[in-house]
Amino acid sequence: MGKQRRLHSMTIVDLLIHLVMILVILICIVPFLYMLALSLSSPSAIINSKVTFYPVGLNFDAYIQIFTYPNFFKAYGNTIFYTVAGTLIALFTTTVFAYAMSKRFLYGHKLIMKLIVFSMFFSGGLIPTYLLISNLHLTGTVWAMLLPFAINQFNLIILINFIRAVPAELEEAAIIDGLDYFGILLRVIVPLSTPALATIGLFTAVFFWNDWFNGLIYLNTNQYPVMLFLRNIVNGTTMVGDGAGAADKSTIAMSIKSAVIITSTLPIIILYPLLQRFFVSGLTLGSIKG
Amino acid sequence: MTEMSVRPGVETAVATSHSPRLRHFRRYWQLYVMMLIPLILLLLFKYAPLFGNILAFRRFRPGMGPFGTDWVGFAYFERFLSDPAFWRAFNNTLVLSFGNILINFPIPIIFALMLSEVRNVKFRKLVQTISYMPRFISTVVVIAILSEILSPSSGLINRFLVDVFGMSPIYFMNEQQYFRPIYILSETWQFTGWTAIIYLAAITGINRELFEAADIDGAGRFQKIRYVTIPSIMSTIMVMLILNVGSLLSLGFEKVLLMYTPSNAMVSDIIDTLVYRTGLMNQNYSYATAIGLFSGVVGVILVSGTNWFSKKVSGESIY
Repeated sequence: MGKQRRLHSMTIVDLLIHLVMILVILICIVPFLYMLALSLSSPSAIINSKVTFYPVGLNFDAYIQIFTYPNFFKAYGNTIFYTVAGTLIALFTTTVFAYAMSKRFLYGHKLIMKLIVFSMFFSGGLIPTYLLISNLHLTGTVWAMLLPFAINQFNLIILINFIRAVPAELEEAAIIDGLDYFGILLRVIVPLSTPALATIGLFTAVFFWNDWFNGLIYLNTNQYPVMLFLRNIVNGTTMVGDGAGAADKSTIAMSIKSAVIITSTLPIIILYPLLQRFFVSGLTLGSIKG
Repeated sequence: MTEMSVRPGVETAVATSHSPRLRHFRRYWQLYVMMLIPLILLLLFKYAPLFGNILAFRRFRPGMGPFGTDWVGFAYFERFLSDPAFWRAFNNTLVLSFGNILINFPIPIIFALMLSEVRNVKFRKLVQTISYMPRFISTVVVIAILSEILSPSSGLINRFLVDVFGMSPIYFMNEQQYFRPIYILSETWQFTGWTAIIYLAAITGINRELFEAADIDGAGRFQKIRYVTIPSIMSTIMVMLILNVGSLLSLGFEKVLLMYTPSNAMVSDIIDTLVYRTGLMNQNYSYATAIGLFSGVVGVILVSGTNWFSKKVSGESIY
């Protein structure tokens, strides 16, 4: 009878856990559904508070408006450029650095390793970094967005450990075959490190895609990334909403804002199911060999 | 040519007329070339700003370089230590940080423990996958979504409050008593699933025999969690706690900056936003560098302090 009761109470616990988990899923997804619904609804439906999780008065006006707004396209293109260029540069520098640093017998190896680790714990701070970049005359150029983030110490250490796990016999065989170290890196190490490189590349791409603050402090208006564009819309809308009698304006702005949110987040949401297995494997990669 | 079959890294007695050092560089120069550009980038963008902190002790003059012109000692430190705006920001940082740890340190642990109790593998994977998706959404988007959901005129929450409870709409994003709850709960939304991955990995790594032994001893589900799972992931929990306490002064600066409005400034001005405003908006570079350096040094002391304490008390440490 005791066993019976335990089985019974376990199913109640299971039920509760499943309910909580379904709630978690809803909490994660519902905000996006709401945004999607708002962006596809008519202004009058938004004013009359009819929109919940599906579009009311389905129309694409908000999307047509932002797509005909030249600054949006410009910002979107800028973001694509920063993401692609930034990720490629970061992957290149991280890969060559990690390969060289995987060789413990090089002169200065220990010192450079210490430099890498120390800079993870103590960073320069906002103002010195800003002054450095403006003194290098990088302010107002795309390099201010790309170069400072070319090396991420965390990713670097993950990759160093990954490359160290590549069997030494493979490199020896490549040397016998007459490859030099550039050749080994390109033909042996890079192909074998694809999972680690994919992970690092994806994290870096997400970082560049989502960045707005560096664009704000370093770039000119026509160089702004899409996230900064969105932030400026949000700021502006808040001001419109403040004014009395501006309800109409603010609700139109609401659907436009939602449309910008959806379009600027879409690449991540679409790619997410495909990419998420890399993220998890990448997170555990670094811990294999600490 | 003679070095063709040499194992990398092993110095062998190949008879040449050169010194060992020269031979080393002749053989491995390509590896040093590879290091060159990244090393320059590391020194330039991670270390030059570190030395740039010297500006906290020197007067900055426009156009005279990033390291200032003449020494002023601790003048800037004395100035901000007697500035009420600094202490307000310091206080706000601590309150927000402690509140955040209090709520968002245990939640991922509880979530991971619950999720690991879900036996259907497919459902578990689905929940996990969806739960850490918010981690990849830009903070700008998170705040933009929040401002729409909490909007006083047509946001979901206010409509609910007005329609169901007959309340008058609340301007959540503007009123200062809602700033901290909104910040902390949005952190919960963004990072619970992501942080839980670490605990889930720790739970997966527990030896199955421990659970089997507990089964034989007649332990129930909660007893197994209490006496097997939690003790087994305790070291992970401690390491995460060290990291959390260590980063007490470094909050989500970008999020706070996005949520900052003049009307919630009394609670939303933290050290990082104070540095940003005094430094980049008002161009008091030296003054802002001094504040930033102070908070950086306190941060390092906090990490090493909690690490030392944890090593003493529980034997767990991050280094």
